[in-house]
Amino acid sequence: MLEIKNLQASVEDKEILKGLNLEIKPGEVHAIMGPNGAGKSTLGYVLSGREGYEVTDGSATLGNDDLLDMEAEERARAGLFLAFQYPVEIPGVSNLEFMKAAVDAHMEARGEELMSSAEFLKAAKLACKQVNLPLEFLKRGVNEGFSGGEKKRNEIMQMLLLKPSLCILDESDSGLDIDALKVVAEGVNSQRDPKRSFIVVTHYQRLLDYIKPDYVHVLSDGKIVKSGDASLAKELEAEGYAWLEGYDVEEADA
Amino acid sequence: MSAYLANAIEQGQLVNDWLTPKRLGSMALLQQTSWPTRKTESWKYTSVRSLEKKTFERGTTNDEHAFSSIAGLDAIELVFVNGVLQQLPEGLPAGLSIASLENVPESTQVWAREQFNVAKPSQHLFGLVNDVLADNGVIVDVAEGVTIDTPIHLVNLVSENNETQQRVIVRVGQNAKVTMIEHNTGSVESLVNHVAEYFVEESAELELYRFSFRTEKALTVSGAHVQLAKKAKLNATIVGFGSELSRMDLDVLHRGENAFAKINAIYLLAKGEHFDLHSTIEHEIGHCVTDETVRGIVGEKATAVFNGRIHIHRDAQKTLAELNNKNLLLTDDAKINTKPELEIYADDVRCAHGATVAELDKSALYYMTSRGVSRDTALVMLNFGFINALVDEMPNAVLAEWLRPILKERFVKMNAEL
Repeated sequence: MLEIKNLQASVEDKEILKGLNLEIKPGEVHAIMGPNGAGKSTLGYVLSGREGYEVTDGSATLGNDDLLDMEAEERARAGLFLAFQYPVEIPGVSNLEFMKAAVDAHMEARGEELMSSAEFLKAAKLACKQVNLPLEFLKRGVNEGFSGGEKKRNEIMQMLLLKPSLCILDESDSGLDIDALKVVAEGVNSQRDPKRSFIVVTHYQRLLDYIKPDYVHVLSDGKIVKSGDASLAKELEAEGYAWLEGYDVEEADA
Repeated sequence: MSAYLANAIEQGQLVNDWLTPKRLGSMALLQQTSWPTRKTESWKYTSVRSLEKKTFERGTTNDEHAFSSIAGLDAIELVFVNGVLQQLPEGLPAGLSIASLENVPESTQVWAREQFNVAKPSQHLFGLVNDVLADNGVIVDVAEGVTIDTPIHLVNLVSENNETQQRVIVRVGQNAKVTMIEHNTGSVESLVNHVAEYFVEESAELELYRFSFRTEKALTVSGAHVQLAKKAKLNATIVGFGSELSRMDLDVLHRGENAFAKINAIYLLAKGEHFDLHSTIEHEIGHCVTDETVRGIVGEKATAVFNGRIHIHRDAQKTLAELNNKNLLLTDDAKINTKPELEIYADDVRCAHGATVAELDKSALYYMTSRGVSRDTALVMLNFGFINALVDEMPNAVLAEWLRPILKERFVKMNAEL
């Protein structure tokens, strides 16, 4: 499914990823944990093709596709989905028309016949219901004036509509209360499928109580420094990240 | 003096018709006017160099032009080709009369001559040129208390190397209502000078649309000058594309208490285009309202000019006036010169003005492409989002439906250039 080899990337000439290796098979859920500044969000941005994130070495393939050689929109159509830590507000573009355009682009890329507006509206309403998002949010500008929790649920709503093969959830738990967290987790769990894989990026173990990972990796200073099963997350919760080599506790607190 | 102006004066001296008594005054002013340079305040950011040495043909050819009516809109069509009205519409609704400028009945001449230059201030250079040269156009009169449901759609089509000097005078009688659509289109080297004066009488309503879609070498100077009487209402929508030279002067004169003006303007400029909107709102009397919203998107190496003046006279107490200008620059070399000017001489008024300039939101673009939406589609959606609020506010839904795909096509062109 996803194969990342020796991935090195920098932002504004600052090296963030320093040789990251990761292999994810279909149906697996991998959690990536680590202190602030380790490069967790950068990994999502690099894989999804954000401008300004320069890959200096290594490779990343999704199925047979060389991700790093594709535009952001092509990566999405190839099945990659990033749930943003901070979803962007787009006044003037309604959630509904945005998602129709996105779903259209996916179907067009697969050579399928496009959904009619009525069919799409039905699907969108269902997705909203699943993440407990009021239907009027479809008419509002994308994320415009949404609360933190509503934005996160809107991300999952988009994921439900786009049916990606690889979902990267970037701190989808941050800023959520326990009820919202459960809604997000239920949305994700409903999509678990032998053909679909997840990367769950999180600072805290809490989300992993609800989305059970197959593997947990610790990312520190741009590399994966430790991998294990779900029990590793529990260990981290107990011990924190202070044991990491070269990790400055004070800096992380700042 | 430029060759263009000298020629205009020379030609103007040959004009002799029912408007001559009014034209003479303008001729005297024009002869004292100098050709604008960068030092001329009202032309500081708009160069008239492309017109300076030009001479065009006027009203001599009657070429074929492709023109299609607005789909789904039942309208009274006034199609001008090189200033020649193709057909004077017949069977007009009761209470509406339309006369061609060259053939105005005596009774209409009397009031139209009286109103000539009453709404249009004398400081506009090309307004003066139009005063002395205008040889085509229409005089529209809506009788007291009559609502004309069918919009009047005036179109100018101009052939290469042609010039048209058009004058429109519209009187909306007391308690009457009418919709005017003025539509200039084309891209060949030519000049349109289109000046219209509208007199909206007590408790009357004017719904006005100005589509200035002339691009490339199609030079355009135009004026829309509206006088509002007591309780009169104006709802205006202006949409401008740019060309080598495209300038519109908008004047709204509040001359009766409780008059109301809502003005929405949009400009969308593709690569290298220039568009200049100078708007002046005169609150001469109290208790009137102005609500003006101007939004523009400026593409690569294009320049927009917006000068929005609101002048609240000493006696215009209890005025409510708002002016807002928002701009989106698509590239680093796109340019906007925006200047809101509030001049207030009354002490009991509520006024607000503001101008903002934003760049393309790259994080929004990334967010949209990360969902599989192509960059081009995302750009069109973002641009459209920025101005769609104003299209939504157009009172005529059929016209809004017609306009949306035209604007979308425009965005596709603007984005393709990025």
